Amino acid sequence: MTLEELQAQCARVPFFRFIDFTITNADDDAIFASMEQSNRHIGNPVIGAFHGGITASFMEAIASVSVSRNWDILLPKPINLTIDYLRPALAGTLFTKATISKKGRRMASIETVAWQEDAKKPVAKGLFHFLLV
Amino acid sequence: MDQNDSTKARMAQIASVWNARALGLISEMDLKVEKAEAGGVEVRMPFNPDFCVDDEGTMLHGGILTALLDSAFGLANFLAIDNVATMATVDLRVEYLRPAQSRADVIVSAECYRQTRHVAFNSGRVWFDTPGLPEVARGFASFSIIRGETSMLDKLNTMGPGS
Repeated sequence: MTLEELQAQCARVPFFRFIDFTITNADDDAIFASMEQSNRHIGNPVIGAFHGGITASFMEAIASVSVSRNWDILLPKPINLTIDYLRPALAGTLFTKATISKKGRRMASIETVAWQEDAKKPVAKGLFHFLLV
Repeated sequence: MDQNDSTKARMAQIASVWNARALGLISEMDLKVEKAEAGGVEVRMPFNPDFCVDDEGTMLHGGILTALLDSAFGLANFLAIDNVATMATVDLRVEYLRPAQSRADVIVSAECYRQTRHVAFNSGRVWFDTPGLPEVARGFASFSIIRGETSMLDKLNTMGPGS
């Protein structure tokens, strides 16, 4: 699937349009995406930080895209998620990368990381399990 | 006003400031705080097609339930813990127990079931406001708590709309 096709598939999901991200790269191992902060993303207006739920939703969206792309399932069923919040995600752009940790027949385990200016200083990491059957 | 009434008034004040943010995801979710006590909160989120996985609006995306849990944990902590200057989610775990397939309002309940000087431990549940429908998600979180005299909510209170 090309980047344009992936993006078009995402545009069909209302909640993905609401969080509003762009898929920037997709190779065999990982999917990359970016999201510009807008008002509706803010969780802490005092410091203008992204809401933790938006950071989590962004990572979950890209994790599910990596599943759909590899297994050809439009909307894989999410089972659970764990988010490790490492730093505040401030105004600007949030980037994420989703990597497949385990590619089973029934389950997929996806690892994500999100960062801002410096990829070496992640703002959050995520672990997502999806049911494929 | 006896102590019970003044506590209730303080709780209502915290909940109202928390919910009346001038911008951000909390206002997009259009939340209504239905219970605000030190022992726990209940918050209602109306159905919103923007939060769905399909244009027909038959199922909510799990991500909005995660956001709802994270928000409710924050409110529960402001109510349960004295002198919170600010806080940050350290860790959040959500279990999606079944597909969120309904157009009913969503209810989230959240509590801070343990607090220490620096850390708050939270648990919460999410269900649709329809009798007989089982819960759709559970969540757990740990928050880092920064104590101080000036609360983040006081700052929000003086920011005003659009500032």
